[in-house]
Amino acid sequence: QGLPLSDGKKYTIGDIKVTGTISFNEQTVIAYTGLKKGEEVFIPGDKISGVIKKLWDLDQFSDINFYITNVSDDNVADLEIEIQEVPKLNEVKVTGLKKREKEEIIKENKLRKGAKVSENLITTTKNYIESKYRKDGYFNTKVAIRTSEVKDTTASNLVNMVVDINQGDRVKIKDIDFIGNEKFSDAKLRRQMKNTKQKNFIRFWKRSKYVKADYKADKEAIIDKYKESGYRDARIVTDSLIDIDKKTISLKLNVEEGDQYYIGDINYLGNTVYSDEQLQSVLRINKGDVYNGVLLDKRIADQTKPDGEDLSNLYKNNGYLFSNINLVETNVYNDTIDFEIRIVEGKEAYFDHITVTGNDKTKDHVIYRELRTKPGQKYSQEDVVSTVRELGQLGFFDAEQLEPKFVNPDPQAGTLDLEYSVVESGASQIELQGGYGGGGFIGTLGLSFNNFSLSGIFDKDAYKPVPMGDGQTLSLRAQASTFYQTYSLSFMEPWLGGKKPVSLQTSFSYTRQFLFDYRSRKADRSRSFDILGVNVGLAKRLTVPDPYITVSHSLGFQRYNLNNYNTGLFTFGDGHSNNFTYTLGLTRDNTYVNPIFPMGGSKFKITAKFTPPYSLWNGIDYANLADQREFQLEDENGNLINTQGDRVTPENAVGDQRKIDQKKFNWLEFYKVKFSGDWYTNLFKKLVLKTSVEYGFLGAYNNDRGIPPFERFFLGGDGLGAFSLDGRETIQLRGYPNQSVVPMDRPSGVSDDGATIYNKYSLELRYPITLKPSASIYALTFIEGGASYDNFKDFNPFQLSRSAGAGLRIFMPAFGLLGIDFGYGFDPIGTDSGAHGWETHFIIGQQF
Amino acid sequence: DETGKKYTAAEQLYDEGKAEDSNKKFRKALRLFEQIVPKYRGKPQGEKLSFLFADTYFELGDYYNASYQFERFSQSYPKSQKLEEAAYKKAKSFYELSPRYDIDQTDTRKAITELQSYLNAFPQGDHVEQANEMATELRVKLEKKEFEIAKQYHLTGEARSGNYRAAITSFNNFLSENPGSPFREGAYYYRFDSAYRLAINSFRDLMEERLKTAMEYYKDYKKYYPEGEYTEPIEASVEEIQSRLQNF
Repeated sequence: QGLPLSDGKKYTIGDIKVTGTISFNEQTVIAYTGLKKGEEVFIPGDKISGVIKKLWDLDQFSDINFYITNVSDDNVADLEIEIQEVPKLNEVKVTGLKKREKEEIIKENKLRKGAKVSENLITTTKNYIESKYRKDGYFNTKVAIRTSEVKDTTASNLVNMVVDINQGDRVKIKDIDFIGNEKFSDAKLRRQMKNTKQKNFIRFWKRSKYVKADYKADKEAIIDKYKESGYRDARIVTDSLIDIDKKTISLKLNVEEGDQYYIGDINYLGNTVYSDEQLQSVLRINKGDVYNGVLLDKRIADQTKPDGEDLSNLYKNNGYLFSNINLVETNVYNDTIDFEIRIVEGKEAYFDHITVTGNDKTKDHVIYRELRTKPGQKYSQEDVVSTVRELGQLGFFDAEQLEPKFVNPDPQAGTLDLEYSVVESGASQIELQGGYGGGGFIGTLGLSFNNFSLSGIFDKDAYKPVPMGDGQTLSLRAQASTFYQTYSLSFMEPWLGGKKPVSLQTSFSYTRQFLFDYRSRKADRSRSFDILGVNVGLAKRLTVPDPYITVSHSLGFQRYNLNNYNTGLFTFGDGHSNNFTYTLGLTRDNTYVNPIFPMGGSKFKITAKFTPPYSLWNGIDYANLADQREFQLEDENGNLINTQGDRVTPENAVGDQRKIDQKKFNWLEFYKVKFSGDWYTNLFKKLVLKTSVEYGFLGAYNNDRGIPPFERFFLGGDGLGAFSLDGRETIQLRGYPNQSVVPMDRPSGVSDDGATIYNKYSLELRYPITLKPSASIYALTFIEGGASYDNFKDFNPFQLSRSAGAGLRIFMPAFGLLGIDFGYGFDPIGTDSGAHGWETHFIIGQQF
Repeated sequence: DETGKKYTAAEQLYDEGKAEDSNKKFRKALRLFEQIVPKYRGKPQGEKLSFLFADTYFELGDYYNASYQFERFSQSYPKSQKLEEAAYKKAKSFYELSPRYDIDQTDTRKAITELQSYLNAFPQGDHVEQANEMATELRVKLEKKEFEIAKQYHLTGEARSGNYRAAITSFNNFLSENPGSPFREGAYYYRFDSAYRLAINSFRDLMEERLKTAMEYYKDYKKYYPEGEYTEPIEASVEEIQSRLQNF
C-alpha cells in the first residue's frame, strides 16, 4: 500500500474506506468529499487535492492521508482516507490562581468543553497568559500546559487539560541608575519615565513595575527630553537589567549626551503658495534658538494632534492634500545646524464624488444638506472634521462610528472622493410610566420619533415600525391622573420646503383639570378647567455673524375655559380667557461635542413673548371698571349690593371682582422677557464646570389692567413642568420642594401665585462615568441659588435661596434622561425656622 | 423513523403551498425544514431538501434568508440541475432586498452583481429576459439616486454657498458616467440652471465668464434636446443671460 503519488494517472474509483480516529459516520465523510464509486479521477490531480483542502478547511482534523490500497487490472483503485481528528477538550483545570481569575482565563481563551485542542490553542493560551501577567509586572510568570487523554470507553478522543500557572512575584524596580549624564540629574531623567518607576512607598497611585513595552517607550522619552534641549545626538548606549532577587531588579542606563546644538539658517524650498514669512510665522523657530528636535517635528507635522497648528496642516487645510514637507539638515558646523524645509506642494486637491453609505433609514437629502464637503470644492481637513461632528449631532447616527474615508486620491488630476460611512442608531424614544405624584396616580404614555417621515405615513411599506428617515420629529404624549388629563402632539420639520434650513414646529395640546380636594383626595368632576393650545413656530439658523445663532418666531394661542373652578388664582370661576402671543427668540449655542455631555462652549438664549397691547386701542378704562354699572356687585335680581349682601345705592356700589377680572383677563395682555446663559468649561481631563445664570421678567403694558395670573414663574424643585396648566414656568432650584420658593417679601399664606420676576445662578461640576452611545452616565455636584420677586423694586440679586448637593444622570436613547439629585437648602422657606434641609429630586426626560 | 416522516410531511406541505399559494403551508413546511435540513446534510436527499428549504424562504418573501440559502445550495451542489434556478432566485432575492433609492444602496449594487453573474453563467437561461429587466431597473435606481443628490445641491444653492458649484460638478460627473440614462435631459437642464443661478448671483467681475459658461451648457442641452421638456424655462433664462451679457 501507499503507492507514491508521482505522476497523474487516470483511475476509476473502487471502494472508499475511511480510517483513523473519527467520531463521524464513514458515509458522511465520503459524501462530504464528493467522491463516488465508479467516478474517474486523476491521481494525483486537482480533484484529490481539492478534497484534501476541503477536509483541512473544516478545522476538524490534525492529519489527513490518502492511500490507494489496491489497483485492479482494469485500473480500478480502492481508496483509503485516513484522518486523525483533533481531540476535544473534556475538562480544564487551572492551578495557581484565584477562582475569579481562573474563570477569566478560561473565558478569554475559550477553553470550553468540546473545544478543539490544537497545538495552536495551546500556544496562544500560553502566550496570552504570560503577556497578561507581564503587563501587570509579573515578569517571571511561567505557564505550563499539559494535556492527557481521557481513558473512557464511551467517548473517544477527549483530552483533559491542566494549565499550570506560576505567577511568580511582581517584579519591582529597586533603582534606576544613569551613567554619563551631566546636563540632567538622575531624578530629572527618572521623571521622564512615565511608566517605569523606582520603588517608593510614598507614591502609592503608580506602582513600580517592569513592563518591557513601557520601558522601551520611556527610554524614548528620555531621548526626547534631551532633544528638546538641543542635545541632538543624545542616545542610550547600553542599558542593562540586573536581577537583585526574585522580586526586585535594577536598571542601569548608560547615556551619551553629546553636544548642545543651536538652530542655524532655515531655508524654505519649493513654496509658491505661502511666502517664507508666512511659513516662518507658523514654524515659530528662529535662528539662534536651542535646537529642539521634538518641537521642530511638531511644527512641521504634529502626529499627536490632527488639527494642530503646523506647516503640513497649513497646506492641508487649504486644499493641498497631496503636499509633502521634509526637513533636511544641510550643514552642521560647530554647534549650529542649518536646515532646509523642502516642500512639494503638489496639485490642489478637489473633492469629486461625495458619498454616504450605511444610511439604512435616513434619507440622502437629510444627510447631504448637512455636509460641508461638496463635489468640486477645494479639499479642507477642517470641513471634514466639522462635517463629522455635525452629522453626529443630528442624533440619527452613532457618533463614535462616523468615519470619513478618502477614496481614489489622484495626485495627477488633483481630485479625491470622500465617503462618509455612518451607522444608524435608534432615534426614537418611548415613555410609559405610572406612579404617584401631585396627589394621585399618574399614567403617562409618550412616543417620540426623532427621525420621522411624514411623507411616509400613507406608504404601507414605510412602516418599520414607523415611517422614518426624513429627519422630522414627531412626539405624542398623553398623561392622565385622577384629576387631570393632558394630550399633546408636536411635529418638527428642520428644513421646511427643503431649500433652506428653516425649521417649522407645530404643536397642539389639550388639558383638562378637575378641581381636586387634597383632604378627601377626590376630584370634583363637575368643576373643571380646560386649556386648548396651538403653537406654530419658525426658526432659522443664521450664517452671519456666526453659524451658531438661531432666530425663532412663534405664534401661540391658548384658550382657557373655567367651569365653576374657583381657586385662589381665579376669581372668575365660570369665565374664560384667551392668550394670543408672539414670541421672538434668539439662541446662540456653540457647545460641543456630545449634546448630552458638552465639553465646552456656551449657550445663550433670550426670548421675548408679547401679546398685542389691546388696551391701547380698545378704549376701556381698566382703572375705573368698578364704577361702571355692569361690573358692580349685584344679587340674583340685578340689584346693587355690597360685599355683605346688603342692598346699596349706586353711589356706594362696589365692584364685582369676578366680573372685573373676567374683563381684565378676557384677552391676556402682558410681555415676558427671559434670558439664560450656560457656559461649559473643561477643567481637567473630562471634568466639566457648567456655569449658568437665568433671569425672567413678566410685565404689563397697562398697570391698570395689571399682570395676569397666568404665565408666571414658579421657582423650586426639579423644574419639571408636569402640568403647566396656566402657562406657568417651573424653574429648577434644587434643595427646595417644587414651586416652593416664593418671593420673600410676600406675607405667608399667599403662596400659590407665581412670581413675576426671578433670577437664578448655578455652578455645576460634572464628570462622566461613561459616554457610550448606548448609555451615557455622569455624576454631578452643584451649588445654586435663586429668588423670585413680585415687584421690580424688591429685586435684589444677592438675596437668594441657596442650595448645594450632588446627583447622577443616566441617558439612554431608549428612555431619555433619568436622574436623581440630592440637594440641601441652606435658607428657610415657608414655615421653616432654620435651613430647609435635604430634598431629593427625580429628573425624567428634562433638558440636560 | 421520525426524521423520515418529517421529510415527507415537509415536502407535501411545500407542494401544497405551491399549489394553493398558501403562506400558511409554507410556514409550516419551513418549520419542518429547519429541523431536518441539518440531518440530511451530506446525504443523497440533502440536495433536494436544501433547494426546497431555500425556495420556501423565497416563497414566503424572506429574501434575506432565501438569498443566503440559495448561495449555500449553489456552493454545496455545484453540479445540481437546479443550479440555474437557484442562481436566478438568489439574484432575484437580492433584487427584492434592494431598498428605495434615497438610502444606502449596498444591497442594490450586490443585486446588480448577482444578476450580472447569473447572466454571465447562463446566457441562454430561462430567466435572461427578466434578469436583464431587473438589472436595468436597478441601474436606473442608482442613476436616480445620483441625479437626486445633484439636484438637491441645485435646490439648496441659495441657502448654502458653494452648492451651485457642487451641483455643476455632480451633474458633470453624472453625465460622463451614465450614458443612456433617462435622467440625462434633467441633468443637462439642471446643470445649466445651476450655472445660470450661480452667475446671476455673482460679483460683477465674475459674472460675464459664468454667464458664458451657462450659455455653453445651454448649447449642450439644445444639441441633444432641441424640443425637450425644459425648453420653455431654459429659453426664458437664456433671454435674461443675453440681455445681461450686453452690459459687458
